[in-house]
Amino acid sequence: MKKIKALFAVAALIISTTVAFAQNIRVTGVVSERNGDSINGAAVQLKGSATVYAMTDATGNYAISVPKDGVLVVSCLGYETVEVPVNGRNFVNITMDTDAELLDDVIVVAYGTVRREANTGSVTTMKKEGLAEAPISSVDKLLAGKMAGVQVTSSTGQPGAATDIRIRGISSLNAGNQPLWVVDGIPVESGDQSIFTNTSNAMTAINPNDIESITVLKDAAAASIYGSRAANGVILVTTKSGKSGRAQFNARVKFGASYLANDNNFTIMNGEQLVTWQREAAQNAGYNPDDPTSPYYRPYSLITGELNNWMKNFTRLGFLQEYEINAAAGSDKGKFYSSISYQKNDGITYGTDFQKLTARVNSDYKLTKTLEIGTRINLGYTESNDTPMQSLYYSNPFFAGMTVLPWTPLYDEDGNYNVNIPENSNTNPLYTATHDDQWEKQFRVHGTMFLQWEPVRNLVFKTNNSVEGTFGEGRRYWAPDPGDSEGTLQTSNTQYLTLTTSNTITYNFSAANNNVRVMAGQEAMRRSFYYYYAYAPTVDAQIPYLNTSVAADDSVDYEANYRTLLSFFGMLDYNYDNRYFLTASLRGDGSSLFGSKNQWGLFWSVGGSWNVTNEAFMKSTSKWLSLLKIRASYGVNGNNNISPYRAYGVYASTAYNGGNGTLPSSPDNESLSWEKNYTWNVGLDAGFFDHRLNLQFDVYSRKTTDMLLSKQVPQTSGFSSNFMNIGSMRNNGVEIQLDGDIIRNSNVVWNAGFNFSYNKSTILDLGDTDEMTYADDSRIKHKVGERFYTFYLKDYYGVNPSNGSALWRHHEYDENGNITSTTLTSDYNKASYIYAGSPEPKFTGGFNTSVSWKGLTFSAFFEYKYGNKVLIIENRYINSDGSQMSMNQSTRGLNYWKNPGDTGVFPKLVAGNSSNSYAMPSTRWLQDGSYIRLKDITISYNLPEKWVKAIMLKGVKVYASALNLYTLHDVDFWDPERGLDGMGYGVYPMTKSFVGGVEVSF
Amino acid sequence: MKKSIYLVLIVASVFAVSCKDFLKEEPFLTQSNALALSDYNGLNKAVAGAYSPLADGVWYGADYVLTSEMRAENATIPTNTDFQSGRYQQPFYMTYSADATVGIWGYGYYVISAVNNVLEEIETRGIDSYVDSSVSEQDIYNLQAECLFLRALAHFDMARIYAYSPAKAAVVGFDDCIPIILKTDKTAQEQPARNTVAEVYAQIEKDLTDAESLMAASYTRKSIADAKAAASLPAIQALLSRVYLYDQKWQLAADYATKVIENSNYKLWTAAEYPSVWGQSTGGSEVIFEIYGKQANSYDEYWEGPSHMTNPKGYADCAASAALVSLFEEGDVRGTTGVRDTDDGKVMFCTDPDEASGGEFWTRMYMGKGECDATSTPDVNKLIFLRLSEMYLNRAEALVNGASISGATALNDLNTIRSNRGASALTSAGAAAVALERRLELNFEGHYWFDLGRNAAGAITYVDSRRGDNVDATSKFWALAIPKREYDVNVNLSHNPGF
Repeated sequence: MKKIKALFAVAALIISTTVAFAQNIRVTGVVSERNGDSINGAAVQLKGSATVYAMTDATGNYAISVPKDGVLVVSCLGYETVEVPVNGRNFVNITMDTDAELLDDVIVVAYGTVRREANTGSVTTMKKEGLAEAPISSVDKLLAGKMAGVQVTSSTGQPGAATDIRIRGISSLNAGNQPLWVVDGIPVESGDQSIFTNTSNAMTAINPNDIESITVLKDAAAASIYGSRAANGVILVTTKSGKSGRAQFNARVKFGASYLANDNNFTIMNGEQLVTWQREAAQNAGYNPDDPTSPYYRPYSLITGELNNWMKNFTRLGFLQEYEINAAAGSDKGKFYSSISYQKNDGITYGTDFQKLTARVNSDYKLTKTLEIGTRINLGYTESNDTPMQSLYYSNPFFAGMTVLPWTPLYDEDGNYNVNIPENSNTNPLYTATHDDQWEKQFRVHGTMFLQWEPVRNLVFKTNNSVEGTFGEGRRYWAPDPGDSEGTLQTSNTQYLTLTTSNTITYNFSAANNNVRVMAGQEAMRRSFYYYYAYAPTVDAQIPYLNTSVAADDSVDYEANYRTLLSFFGMLDYNYDNRYFLTASLRGDGSSLFGSKNQWGLFWSVGGSWNVTNEAFMKSTSKWLSLLKIRASYGVNGNNNISPYRAYGVYASTAYNGGNGTLPSSPDNESLSWEKNYTWNVGLDAGFFDHRLNLQFDVYSRKTTDMLLSKQVPQTSGFSSNFMNIGSMRNNGVEIQLDGDIIRNSNVVWNAGFNFSYNKSTILDLGDTDEMTYADDSRIKHKVGERFYTFYLKDYYGVNPSNGSALWRHHEYDENGNITSTTLTSDYNKASYIYAGSPEPKFTGGFNTSVSWKGLTFSAFFEYKYGNKVLIIENRYINSDGSQMSMNQSTRGLNYWKNPGDTGVFPKLVAGNSSNSYAMPSTRWLQDGSYIRLKDITISYNLPEKWVKAIMLKGVKVYASALNLYTLHDVDFWDPERGLDGMGYGVYPMTKSFVGGVEVSF
Repeated sequence: MKKSIYLVLIVASVFAVSCKDFLKEEPFLTQSNALALSDYNGLNKAVAGAYSPLADGVWYGADYVLTSEMRAENATIPTNTDFQSGRYQQPFYMTYSADATVGIWGYGYYVISAVNNVLEEIETRGIDSYVDSSVSEQDIYNLQAECLFLRALAHFDMARIYAYSPAKAAVVGFDDCIPIILKTDKTAQEQPARNTVAEVYAQIEKDLTDAESLMAASYTRKSIADAKAAASLPAIQALLSRVYLYDQKWQLAADYATKVIENSNYKLWTAAEYPSVWGQSTGGSEVIFEIYGKQANSYDEYWEGPSHMTNPKGYADCAASAALVSLFEEGDVRGTTGVRDTDDGKVMFCTDPDEASGGEFWTRMYMGKGECDATSTPDVNKLIFLRLSEMYLNRAEALVNGASISGATALNDLNTIRSNRGASALTSAGAAAVALERRLELNFEGHYWFDLGRNAAGAITYVDSRRGDNVDATSKFWALAIPKREYDVNVNLSHNPGF
């Protein structure tokens, strides 16, 4: 220890001696922009010294002690660095020019920020602009169609719903496919964590308006530093901080209405249509519809009474309201941002609503010249009510609405909701919505505190520590049928708690034209989960809570687990003369999830780029070519998204002979390890005409190896399969993002952007087998050589024009699997299964445009998806060709075979037929799911300053938006979006919304 | 400065030490293998659990017994095809292949691995490590004996299905049996080859004789509903008697049968008791070892269990054949016939009261097990594996084949049974009489197929014209195919002739 002290002493002596030799003077001054605005946080440094520097305060003032003949180097992010000789002056004011190229071009990346120019990986960013207007419940919805390579799929339009995000395709069968969300440097919970509700979304706890920027890390160079969690990409969210200068205060209100989207004229039959249809079906089956003894007695008198459109009965106009107040302020010492918001969204069906309350405090404070502390605290409370959906169940309004018969009355004789609906198992979704409960209440808290120490300029120690908790309560209550007194109650209580510590050291230095940034870090994470569940089938309907349950009937359950992650990582950024850039990262992750032999994994990446425009020989083109950069990267990262304890061989309880024993329930798996992703990426960034037109182009290939699959093992081991790292697959793709300012002058700004992503997945190896069945539905297969999801359906041909019966193709195959002959058959059992395409789109993207003229801004945003197949499962019932005689039908079914020679029609109607013409695993119901959606169209107006000032305000903005105003598609359903697998059924469809709001700032 | 450096050093060293522990998260709602077997209670529970898969549907949950009866033509599918559910076609038409065979392979080895884990853990830790003031060495021996009994039983049942019996193996000239597994392969990578028939029978006999020497005569498993659904010394001896019979070691078969016969805890049901004992949910006075079938089991077959399968109002796929029912003489309680519902608890074969099944007879051996109506879930699906009358039959057969037991004759043994069944006394007892008595006494308990299979000359000439080819003495069906999925992952397995 003494030796170290001595060493420090000598070093200090040398430094102080050097300084002492020169004659130092004290220099003060103000650093400002050309317009006179002071610049806070600029570094004023003695040229050639790493230790002598000062930072400007909130009013731009600095003070530094330097030699008389020294040179001051003044630098600040977003400004061009200037050098000013002191020349013996004691007072030096310095003016800085904004760096046209760099302004707004600092992007948040893993563990820091980087100038876009220096970035070597594939990243996409989105800034806060435009975040505020859209009436969305969570930030993930905002990404839909906005970023190349980021596919956001909604499987339901329910308020507060989860989304499925796939960055550059799907990579895993048995580990997760969702990206890692990192908020202010800390990985957070995402996805659906509810127990009883149809959907929920952890991201709703974050107020989208609190977000400053979003960065999506797509390739290995950008994401690999997140190691074993980076395989599906990383989404970095940075929340707002205060700004030094005048305090800002904003208030915002928003109101809107929503209703069921239906842009392809999809309707159900009215009474007259249905009775005609049913009578024809009955007659074709040999029954007289006017004979009261016939099983298909369908007289015209059915439609003489009250008729209902049940879809209308079950849906309503949804209402949205949102209120928010936020404030931001700052001084040279500290800054803060704070917001509170409330949103309530009443859904388009009865019993469906979503409420949330969020509050945030972000604060930063400089404790000393070298020490800075900051906190990020977010509270979110969400309450979600819904009714059973996502199944073709009687109480689902979106299914019952299409199937309950038009002549069934809505109310009974007493004026109560009619529950005597035999065709719907005597279930009335309106009765369900008013009597039953299905909800989830979640309280989420995320608190982060960081401490940053910069003992020497450009050497930063940072420790970032966080606690994130989710506390959920769920309830599902089935009220008794009218007249009964006991209901069925299920309740749940869940908790997730994650502790994270992230500690880094960063050092930047420059020598000649060499610029280096090195970072080393360590992280540790521990996450716990528990879940209590109680089931009480006999609670008192008057007091429907657990306290009235009959203990003998009840059952309870408990689940809990822990997982830990320990990581060490490092990163190197190097650039030579802003022309040649190199980034390398390395991370070692140790995880409790994996086997003792593979607990530690090593992940790495290398990326390089060449900024051609900074070469001397490019001077001649700089007039029109403002940026040309070529990027390339390669690396490996991992997917550890599996449930805990899979590596352990365990004994589980087994009941036998009146007692409990134990049996081996899963084999030891000491070798269990992460799935690995090897990704290469080649990209090009170009800017033209002073960055008025910008292009980003990427080509990638992402190979997943060591995919976790259940491998068949000899049963002599006592087990039949073991979870092993054996499969592989690939995603190849191209991404293009193009943004341009078409007009840019002092009066009018018109810009437009376009993005395009193409991704193709291919399964390469499934271990023992070359085909597996999709876990959720056997109508999709995972097959070697095909896309990840491939529909496997009976090959429907159409209608036999001579007799109206359904025809399928029957194929004969040779030993190589090639078709040798095809015959048509009306026997469903003889129909051949074929691989009928994929629900994965061939390409996706969006385009946007916005025009501003004085205070008026008009913007529009379109999203598109092309080449994906969807399977409409509901058709089995609502286009039943007569087999469903007690359900209402889709009007598509009116186009059925009537006369010999009819083609392109549905089969002949036969009441109660069992031809299986309507059966589900059939290409008959497979449709092209491509669409273009006018997702958002907004007009906003900033009131002129002179009017606003007159009422003592800083700004007033009014706006109106329409969401999902129109969708161009060919799907015979309300809406073309059917989830990732293209077969989501019974879901709450997309809605159209109209929203208006006012934002006032003080 | 000094303080902070110390702090850094302390934190770093604590960190380095705790690194390994930090990443160790063990399951606690299930038990890791190491923990599960670390004390006596753990061992005891693991042994209790090892019985559990015996009740699976492919084994004594129905199939192992009922498909055997079907192959041997004690059982038949109903002639009215609208009536049945379509189950049990395979053993009726004998359409066995590697893709479609008897499925006990996985469950047999599952039980074997469960007991091997226990045996191995006791060996590794040493008996002493389990012994304390409340646990004696004998307690551990008893558990070891139960494990050995189950291991022998599992090997035996698989050998009976997937390999020729010792006698047939010699005639056919194919003596590959099943792989003997005495240690669990924790890596699940090993691809064991098949042992010979002689090796497998030797191992089964060794396990059982070891079990016999380890188990206390008075031992019965505690805290269970049915004491006869767990191994006991008489159960070990009774199984040994049967295994020796299959191995044609006549004297040993007779010796062990005698041990059980002389055990005063067991006595034959009387003719008056006989028709009603089958409805009991736990074993009667004859029962030595049975499989406990109740809905509360983790392995329970509900609708697929034997009571629903032999119920004309249930799935109704497993009727009693005319060939069987016609064998009984007048007055023999084992062959009495009547009408279901009317004659419940009085007769053994009933017709359907609605006569919808076309005059088919249905065994009432699995009656009462769940009240047998088609609408409620069958609850009790108990199956008897070893009972006293089999011991008399084993001994009679051994005596006919040259064994000798002082004071015992085959004729006496058969007549002892017959006098308790209301059947007339025989005057002589040759091999054919013993075999017939065995078929009558043990019908629908899964014996007849294997009794034919363990004799070199055993063969079946089907009576029912719907059936396919007869099963001759060297037919491939006496050694059914090992499941194909096992060949896919084990290259060292040989194929049975004809599959």
